[in-house]
Amino acid sequence: MEELANINWGLIAPLIVVQAILMIVALTDLVRIHATNGPKWVWALVIIFANLVGPVIYFIVGRKSS
Amino acid sequence: MNTFLTLFTKEFREAWRSLKFVWMPLLFIVLGIMDPLTNYFMEDILGAVGNLPEGFMLTMPELHPIDVLSASTSQFQSIGLVVLVATIASAISRERQNGMATLLYVRPISFTALFMSKWAVASLLGIVSGVAGYAGSLYYTTLLYGSVEYGAFMKMLGTYCIWILFVTAVTLACSAMFNTAISMTLAILLLPFGLMIDSIIGSFWSLSPWKLSAYGVQFISGGTSEYYTATVALTLALMISAVLLGILFSKRNAATAKI
Repeated sequence: MEELANINWGLIAPLIVVQAILMIVALTDLVRIHATNGPKWVWALVIIFANLVGPVIYFIVGRKSS
Repeated sequence: MNTFLTLFTKEFREAWRSLKFVWMPLLFIVLGIMDPLTNYFMEDILGAVGNLPEGFMLTMPELHPIDVLSASTSQFQSIGLVVLVATIASAISRERQNGMATLLYVRPISFTALFMSKWAVASLLGIVSGVAGYAGSLYYTTLLYGSVEYGAFMKMLGTYCIWILFVTAVTLACSAMFNTAISMTLAILLLPFGLMIDSIIGSFWSLSPWKLSAYGVQFISGGTSEYYTATVALTLALMISAVLLGILFSKRNAATAKI
């Protein structure tokens, strides 16, 4: 735990915040969208667990544009 | 002009509603700040997960702002570019395939305005993302590695914007010529893959649009490549011909729209 406290969090915080925003935007879009390519719950897992790549892949191929 | 504005608003609204203007800049920001950070913490990262033997000595190179900015640029040019191309490669062809194009084509619109509106929105998207990414990269570079001259940075950013305009023009021209699958493959082959080819065997020539961003980064070190002006001129010429091709083929392929 001591090592965690030594990290300069002020430096890394923006990275974490931006990734979190990306994930939240993707998740809210997933909830509101009518249908996706493939089951929705899989996309939810992809967005949450595949860091950075997940939301981007969802936006490129997951959204169904009618 | 009026048609252009209407179509531009429509394109912009579509891109905005599909959240492209939100997630693409965010992706570029992450790509931009990833490199300065990982290089800064490289020693700690290697110590934590590198599985290095006891007593292993490693001398880290002293990185200058130009090294970090060129590393960020190569991130934008690989991952960022593939994502950008994949997002806009379907802009014209998808409308033809899902029948939306017929709603447009029955009206007396000019295909120049149609193509230009798509190009403008795609370029705006790319430029906003690129600028956001470079802003993030610059912030961490000045914070961790030393200051960058303001004028030189602006020149580099301007050069990158020209490259983005070229990328979007070529991608949309591909999209006008073929269906979505072929246009996406062709655009990815031409742009990100072309960059790779250029970096492998590119030492045999010095004039190619793929070298533009590398010449742009050289401004940071204070020097200018002697081929810079010629490369910009060549890129602009290729861009204009791509736009003309795109307009021509979007008119010619209008008949292939599904009803």
